[in-house]
Amino acid sequence: MRRVYLDNSATTPVDRRVVEAMIPYLTEKFGNASSVHFFGQEARAAVDRARREVALLINARPNEIVLLSGGTEANNLAIRGIVENVADHGRHIITSLIEHSAVRGVCDALEKRGWEITRLPVYDDGVVRLDDVRAALRPDTVLITVMLANNEIGTIQPIAEMGALVREERARGRRHLWLHTDAVQAAGRMPVDVEVLGCDLLSLSAHKLYAPKGVGALFVRRSVRLTPQNIGGHQERERRGGTEAVPSVVAFGAAAALAREELSQRIDHMQRLRDHLETGVAARVPDIVFNGHRTQRLPHLSNISFRFIEGEGLLINLDMQGVAVSTGSACSSGSLEPSPIIRALGRDDEMARGSIRFSLGKDTTDEDIDYVLEVLPRAVENLRRLSPLYQHALADRACVVADEKDVLAPAI
Amino acid sequence: MTYSDIFKDHLASPRNAGEIPDADASAERINPVCGDRLRLTLLISDGRIERARFLAYGCPPTLACGSALAEMIEGMTIEAARCVSRQQIADALDGLPARKQHAAALAVETVRAALDAERDSDFVMVK
Repeated sequence: MRRVYLDNSATTPVDRRVVEAMIPYLTEKFGNASSVHFFGQEARAAVDRARREVALLINARPNEIVLLSGGTEANNLAIRGIVENVADHGRHIITSLIEHSAVRGVCDALEKRGWEITRLPVYDDGVVRLDDVRAALRPDTVLITVMLANNEIGTIQPIAEMGALVREERARGRRHLWLHTDAVQAAGRMPVDVEVLGCDLLSLSAHKLYAPKGVGALFVRRSVRLTPQNIGGHQERERRGGTEAVPSVVAFGAAAALAREELSQRIDHMQRLRDHLETGVAARVPDIVFNGHRTQRLPHLSNISFRFIEGEGLLINLDMQGVAVSTGSACSSGSLEPSPIIRALGRDDEMARGSIRFSLGKDTTDEDIDYVLEVLPRAVENLRRLSPLYQHALADRACVVADEKDVLAPAI
Repeated sequence: MTYSDIFKDHLASPRNAGEIPDADASAERINPVCGDRLRLTLLISDGRIERARFLAYGCPPTLACGSALAEMIEGMTIEAARCVSRQQIADALDGLPARKQHAAALAVETVRAALDAERDSDFVMVK
């Protein structure tokens, strides 16, 4: 069976060139980067080279990069590290309604411990408004944490504008306000420059960039102090204890270098195929809604709500035909959790339940998209034929048509 | 979340999907918590279910349980159909994940509601 992987926002396949770069560090170059002898120094040099590449990807300095286990740890260290460090100055955090659970969960946990959280709306286009950020600012606000691009609908948030706002506030004498952005989905899919964004902290994950799982980074601007969350080692300049995962870090560096070199061609390629997918779906499948801003979004992602059916059923149907996608909704123990992201757009439960995320990658082909366009309409049609909601809608439409005929019929 | 092969087969090729236009009994039940919906229409003759058709909206277990139920009860007596249990439906699908048992409960509730409606309508006719 043909297999088409359109779930690159969940994870990406490791690039062969990345695998080649890391293999020596899984075999003969096995040293601990903290060791003084040759083996250790060989590993240390490799970690430093990788750190430089990760820094270059986001226009940071190498010593501003804290290497760690991935996006979730980066978000935990960023948020908890900041707010615990400045708890005496304020306990108010501004975030959005569409954050990844690694940010949402940390904010929820802090709320239980006494911090106050303002969760900004995103309106029907999935984008936070700068005016809302400004209005939410309070004297005791210590952190704004808003993602750079959303993982489910791909919308790009105005982080550079928030960065400018934070700088304005600093110019007015406010010393304890920081900006964190989760760039896990954005990196490698759009230009990410910490100077343009003006953020103090930025989270990255390697496995969204064609490197292995289990490694990531947090950009920490030079003057920013964090309370470490992993204590027990001196690594990463005391900011994150734990032996460096040298092979994974080397892979991350190699993947970051490739992402930087190939960024514009990857963007062009993914956007062309994504647009082909969306045009094709719109032409073949009625009763759909595209979710999220149409232009201010990542080039590789399309989120579509299919009316009258439920996302997981469509996901499994597509999977049985070799197509891998994802849905943000979950139903368990009889309690429904329609995608909070789609709900935040103001859509009803049915639309939130029927949403599917297609996320393309640099290696997706025209033939992959053509195959999806061949199998998807049939899968949707089969589920709709089973759906009482669809049958009710068909009956309602028949009534409307009959009513219109009555109205239009000439009086005899 | 993993589903059995037979479960996936019910999803790919639902048994007895559809609606009987002049059904002797029908019911549509909604799980009020998650919004899953199951509709069942039946043709009944001499106390036996001759045809059963289902429509379903919701998570895959709801679709698969609807399919398994409609297949299972065709040919059953009304009494036997009324006694179909959640476990029987789950067994017909080679098991359901623990968190998805509610789908079998909805199926059982729907068939009983359809048969209750049929019994009540008989009662009205006799009266």
